[in-house]
Amino acid sequence: MTRLTRLEEADGYWQGRFQAMASPCEIFMEVDEASSANRLLQIAADEAWRIEKKFSRYKKDNLVYRINNSSGAPAKVDDETAHLLDFAQQCWELSDGLFDITSGVLRRVWRFDGGSHIPDEAAVKALLPYVGWQHVNWSRPFFTLPQGMEIDFGGIGKEYAVDRTLLCLQEVTDAGLLVNFGGDIHAGRRKKDAGAWSIGIENPNQPDSANGILKIHQGALATSGDARRFLLRDGKRYGHVMNPKTGWPIENAPRSVTVAADTCTEAGVLATLALLHGEDAETFLKGQAVQYWLND
Amino acid sequence: MQLKDKSKKIRRSLTAATCSLLGISTTDTPAEEGDWEFDSAVLYYSEVDRVSAIEPVITAKREFSDEKSLNLKLVFDALTGASANGATPSDQPQTFTKPSGEGSYTASANETPLDDTFKDFRMAFSSQWDQPLNRDYKASLGGNFSTEYDYLSLSVNGSLSRDFNKRNTTLSVGISLAHDTISPDGDLPVGFSSMVIDTGQAGFEDDFDATREGSEDTKTTLDLIFGLTQVIDQHTVMQLSYSISDSSGYLTDPFKILSVVGSDGRPVDYRYEKRPDSRNKQGLYWQTKHHFSKDILDISYRFFWDDWDITSHTLDLRYRWMLGGQQYLEPHFRYYSQSEADFYRRFLVDGDVLPDYASADYRLGELTGITLGLKYGFKLANEQELSMRLEYYLQSGDSPDGNAPGILSDMELFPDVEAIILQFNYAF
Repeated sequence: MTRLTRLEEADGYWQGRFQAMASPCEIFMEVDEASSANRLLQIAADEAWRIEKKFSRYKKDNLVYRINNSSGAPAKVDDETAHLLDFAQQCWELSDGLFDITSGVLRRVWRFDGGSHIPDEAAVKALLPYVGWQHVNWSRPFFTLPQGMEIDFGGIGKEYAVDRTLLCLQEVTDAGLLVNFGGDIHAGRRKKDAGAWSIGIENPNQPDSANGILKIHQGALATSGDARRFLLRDGKRYGHVMNPKTGWPIENAPRSVTVAADTCTEAGVLATLALLHGEDAETFLKGQAVQYWLND
Repeated sequence: MQLKDKSKKIRRSLTAATCSLLGISTTDTPAEEGDWEFDSAVLYYSEVDRVSAIEPVITAKREFSDEKSLNLKLVFDALTGASANGATPSDQPQTFTKPSGEGSYTASANETPLDDTFKDFRMAFSSQWDQPLNRDYKASLGGNFSTEYDYLSLSVNGSLSRDFNKRNTTLSVGISLAHDTISPDGDLPVGFSSMVIDTGQAGFEDDFDATREGSEDTKTTLDLIFGLTQVIDQHTVMQLSYSISDSSGYLTDPFKILSVVGSDGRPVDYRYEKRPDSRNKQGLYWQTKHHFSKDILDISYRFFWDDWDITSHTLDLRYRWMLGGQQYLEPHFRYYSQSEADFYRRFLVDGDVLPDYASADYRLGELTGITLGLKYGFKLANEQELSMRLEYYLQSGDSPDGNAPGILSDMELFPDVEAIILQFNYAF
């Protein structure tokens, strides 16, 4: 992993960049001095890297790895992990079991690499006993995961990192700030008279061009759905959001959903839940009284 | 319809779950133990024609988990200039021996005699540790060390406070014990001995030495303070305290003298002052702070009395006026008035029986002081704060001097003292 940060001055603010969670990360800071901007950028990068290291399922030296390799033994977790497990459980309950951090096991047969390989039904079915939050035992501070199952905070980790990073920065500065980790954004209030932040939204059909400019004063945006992660077979497009109950991708879901909410975590969960509702995504979003953008 | 109702419920619950996740987890981050907070200041104090001081101060505070905190403070003081030596002015130039006995200084005719050999450097360091003992009790322990060329002060203090009434009421008790040592250049003068002036006489050094007793002496002070802090409402907090202080040991100022004047008001002798060797001080203090929607009013009053017969009143008013953009202006008004000590004498009269104690130190006389000040501060990015303070201080002595003999009736025996205080402060 590259541990580099870059700082550039723009018109009235500083823009810091680094790489974390497989995404380009940007911090916009309305401070005057390069030294202040650099200090904030280091705080932001450290927090993002801390969360990545702690919750990534790709690392072999963290708690998530120990849980996933606990062979059914209870694992004692720290407070922050406990809060995330509580949150994951609440999302699972609120979504009637559609939002499930144990569904990552299905990646063993589903590879959303833009290709056309569809696994056979028996292989999917064989994995289903290892998917489902109802099988875990979560009794703070002990988390017990049956052998063969896995947890993955990927569905909320990046959005959580965005919110945490902004909170960390706001503890040390009153300056206007915007945190953008690969399109998941949380903006703090700008300086008086500075107006709104302008954010470009990507068109999933043309991933590298901005689809529109969004003005935001304060709040968060998160996008679920990935223009790049899909399978195409016999003219049918399979998006990468899985239904944990069937083991198959959700059908007829929008390609991506962007939701605006007070926090990036909430926006991200709402966007993911919308995709999990498939063709009813928009109906679901209308019921939430949130601002949203669909890309079909 | 059912879906819509259900969806609404998700949003509210999800918002609550998210707040819980982010809200609580913020206190669980590794950055829980705070960084050092620094506060630096430079104070410049200048009395018109008299003492000036430049005083850099740096304080550092670190908060630990569980509301524990450590405060460190380092002060440097550089004092230069002249200070009234206690003698009365005269219509002739007057010559005085320096406190060290080495050389002399002269006051012109009709001028208040000032000792211009006054030069000192002080360094003080203090540390304070605060921590809660349990839910209701908090304790604090501290130590101070202060040193000057001819002065050393050491003290320790401790306090205990208890919260009542959902933390709206706090009772506290504090104790402090200080031990000071003074060792002036030229030793300590014998109280009431006559100042020997070097006029070229052969036996000056022996004569000077005869006015000296011991190279150092000490003073011990015990302070007790009892306090009550009460939250009145969400915008107002009030504090009341009673303090009692007992000092014993060498309380005299070895650099101060009194003029012994004849019936014409001219000096015939100068005697070193002599003060009692104990002093008991008591004080009552009341302070109220009120937060308006933005501005803050801070008002306090202190009543002080001691067994030297000094009573004083101090009224202090500050109003922090919040301007836009993280800036504020804070006007300050302070009024101070004190009565004189029972042994205060502006001068001694030749031929009168010597009192038990006497001092002509203007700080023990009847006086009134007024301070007018203005502070301007603003917050920079990253919680840094810059402020500057400008104050004007005017002190008027007004002891009754109706029966000043001879030429003294035409002299300014209680000159005003004016001072300008300028302070720059930078917190980071």
